[in-house]
Amino acid sequence: MAISEGRSGRGALLPLRMSQLAGSRGGSLAIFVGKRILWMVPIVFFVILITFVLMHLAPGSPWDRTGGRQLSQAVMNNLNIKYGLDKPETEQFKLYLWNVIHFDFGLSYQYEGKSVVTLIGGGWPYTATIGFLAFLLIVPVGISLGVVAALRQNTRVDYITMGFATFAASFPNFVIGALMVVVFSVVLYKATDGNFFLPSADFGLDSHLIMPVITLSLLPIAYTARLTRASTLDTIRQDFVRTAWAKGLPERLVVIRHILKNSLIPVVTTLGPTFAFLVTGSVIVETVFNIPGIGRAFVVAVSSRDYPMILGTTVLFSVIIAVANLVVDVAYVFIDPRVRLT
Amino acid sequence: MHSRLTIRRALSLATAGVFLVGCGGGGSTSANPAPPDKQILRVNDRTEPNSYDPTQQTYSYEAGVGRQVFEALLKPKADGSDVQAAAAKSYDISSDGLTYTFHLQPNAKWSDGKPVTASDWVYGYQHLLNPALAAGYVDPYFDSVIAGATHWGDFSSKSSVKDIDGFVSGLGLSAPDPSTFVIKLDHPAGYFKWVVTLWLAAPIRKDVVEQAAGGAFPSNDPTKALMWANNAATIIGNGVFKISEIAPKDHVTLVPNPYYWGGPAKLQQVIEYFIEDGNTAYSKYQTGALDMIGVPLADVTVVRGDPKLSKQANLYPRLGTWWMVANAQRPPLDNPKVRMAFAKSIDRNSLVNNVLHGVGTPTLSYIPKGMAGYDESNKVQSFDPAAAKKLLADAGVTAADLNKFKLLTRNTTGNKTINQFIVDQWNTNLGLNIQLDVVDSKTTTSRYLRKGDFDLYGPDGWGADYPDQQDWFDNYTTGACHSLNWGCAKLDGFDELVKKADAGVDQAQRNKDYAAAHKIMIDQAAIGMLYQDAEYDLIQPWVANVKSTAIDDQFLVGSFYWHDVYITTH
Repeated sequence: MAISEGRSGRGALLPLRMSQLAGSRGGSLAIFVGKRILWMVPIVFFVILITFVLMHLAPGSPWDRTGGRQLSQAVMNNLNIKYGLDKPETEQFKLYLWNVIHFDFGLSYQYEGKSVVTLIGGGWPYTATIGFLAFLLIVPVGISLGVVAALRQNTRVDYITMGFATFAASFPNFVIGALMVVVFSVVLYKATDGNFFLPSADFGLDSHLIMPVITLSLLPIAYTARLTRASTLDTIRQDFVRTAWAKGLPERLVVIRHILKNSLIPVVTTLGPTFAFLVTGSVIVETVFNIPGIGRAFVVAVSSRDYPMILGTTVLFSVIIAVANLVVDVAYVFIDPRVRLT
Repeated sequence: MHSRLTIRRALSLATAGVFLVGCGGGGSTSANPAPPDKQILRVNDRTEPNSYDPTQQTYSYEAGVGRQVFEALLKPKADGSDVQAAAAKSYDISSDGLTYTFHLQPNAKWSDGKPVTASDWVYGYQHLLNPALAAGYVDPYFDSVIAGATHWGDFSSKSSVKDIDGFVSGLGLSAPDPSTFVIKLDHPAGYFKWVVTLWLAAPIRKDVVEQAAGGAFPSNDPTKALMWANNAATIIGNGVFKISEIAPKDHVTLVPNPYYWGGPAKLQQVIEYFIEDGNTAYSKYQTGALDMIGVPLADVTVVRGDPKLSKQANLYPRLGTWWMVANAQRPPLDNPKVRMAFAKSIDRNSLVNNVLHGVGTPTLSYIPKGMAGYDESNKVQSFDPAAAKKLLADAGVTAADLNKFKLLTRNTTGNKTINQFIVDQWNTNLGLNIQLDVVDSKTTTSRYLRKGDFDLYGPDGWGADYPDQQDWFDNYTTGACHSLNWGCAKLDGFDELVKKADAGVDQAQRNKDYAAAHKIMIDQAAIGMLYQDAEYDLIQPWVANVKSTAIDDQFLVGSFYWHDVYITTH
């Protein structure tokens, strides 16, 4: 990886100076980011290659039906020709790559005459909004719960927060989602004014977001809280923290400047993938709340063998994950001055 | 419709069979229509149509929109006994049974106000039968019977414009005058009047299609030919409603076609939501945000026990049946006695009561109750474990011969639940030890069924596209060891009977021939019958004038007759 430890003796006692970053590190940061973006090209290529091979290895054709009478052979032949599936697979692959270079991700098999770009473009805003809001909820809530639990280790506060974390982590989100629907949308629907919490259909980006965002965030909050707690406990016992206390610094300063900054490194590392996971959608949350997002669309595409849709979403997911990891690596620079980008 | 009998649907409660004309909306609070702004019907169509071009639609959730926006020449009477006028006010059949002349409604208009002419019908049928567009329902309904269409499968989007144009212009479709549409058949077919009731056989406007495609386009270009259906503004139909809004993956909004020949509909809006999760829809119904839904299987007993909901619930019989298949190409399942032993060792009453919670009826007839051909008298497949064991003994088959067999099961909750029950019945009643083989649904079709590589499979089912037996028996004519006829049992005399009945014009004689064919397939246990479909639906009390038929689209109760539905004050 591109992260190496620099002057280890410097420690975290010295605050990071932005001016320093802009000067000596600014150039190398830009080169680093540029390199990483270029690396995405081969990454996406291999993602396409692997997905393409796996997809075609999976038995079943897009025209098979899941029951009842099947389409006749004549119809299937015509459909294969219409979508170019009669060509050899290597040729199909080359053609797909050529089209992707021109930002043409093809037409969906499932939705007649609709392009993959339109379908993803229509669904991703919902998925991304919910994922992004969940992320905004997870970061402060998860981290503060973890820090509070660590600072008050083995007290009632610790037990309650960690009890909550264990509870949230062990309940599957389809249970939580369904429970919330029953409680807020059915039992309390008069109190919540019928539509306020209602899931699904008419899905608008307003109060409908509340339940899905909460459902989606619970597990990552629990995970982040536990991780922050463990990492904070680790930091609290470090010499430099003892020094900070000994210097007579107020608690606020010790916690924020010395403990938090150092204990956040492992948390930030996981937040990258968490963010990618959130904005690519959860099939369960999207199904329970009937959100027209791409998490569900992807699963439907796989089960109906909608090849262009599978490839399109996979490419999007791989780019999101690559970008999220890049952001995490860059974030290290700001959090931990020991980290250098090469 | 073939594919509408998906397993998922069956288990989420497929609907009802006996062409009952039910009046929904029991116990309405008032008979007075609500003000126009309240005339909104909110239903769950479950899944977004893959296309809004009616010719490309094959699933029931697609017909759920297509049938409202486009109107076919004829439509079924509510009791299913015959066809009745729709876009055509009447029709004549020539004495040789080869020429169908449809007299169009004199004041039929498109949703943009232009008159519907016979040439729009010719264009619509040509669009449907254009081989480059590969419409899924052309074969076998249309290509096998319309004059000049039998070579439909020989052409594709790779064919030259000249070939496609030649094929399309050679079809037996003509418009002698603006209000007369004539279809010539390749051979007599007593059932053809039903074929023209299908939602996909609709008129289409050439000028609209070409404008959306940016001008005239070559006839072998499928993409351009379908562009018009991507945008609500260019989907001009002749149906009761028109599309005012498409919210992808969420809902489609229909408003009345102000120019509909029968006068505009009473409803000012029909909102068809695409809610795939049955529980979510059920929640919405309970809060009053949906007007009709199918009750999820798990909630059937809850609804029955609920004093309020049980009054809004109706069990609608459907023209659909389900059965098990044994691979007759694989000894000893080639022996009808062995297949019959499997059929006779399933307790169908227990299946319907305990697994399906009463949503369905045990049946021994392939043709469902509610249409001509339903056979109540033939009880040869009835539940009788002792007789079943004796059949196996007579055939000289031991448990060891059968224990190597597996029951191929599609990987859905519904299929697994049913097949657990069935395999348990076989094992208990026949003293066997057969296992389930649960496989991804598409893999089941492509790797096992299509290749004939399976032992036992099910449940498989069929729902009527229209209440004519041709729609049922053509599935089992030989030469087709695929599609529904996976077991491919050899049925002597069956093909001849079905062929004769399909072509027949005398209905009594047709029924007689089909009955003989039915007896052959049941007596030979080509399939082991299970149950007839029903659908358990909830309808809000303020929905008035719902006229259900046994071939309604899934969950869309009475959708053939929404023109007259209205909302009462509440």
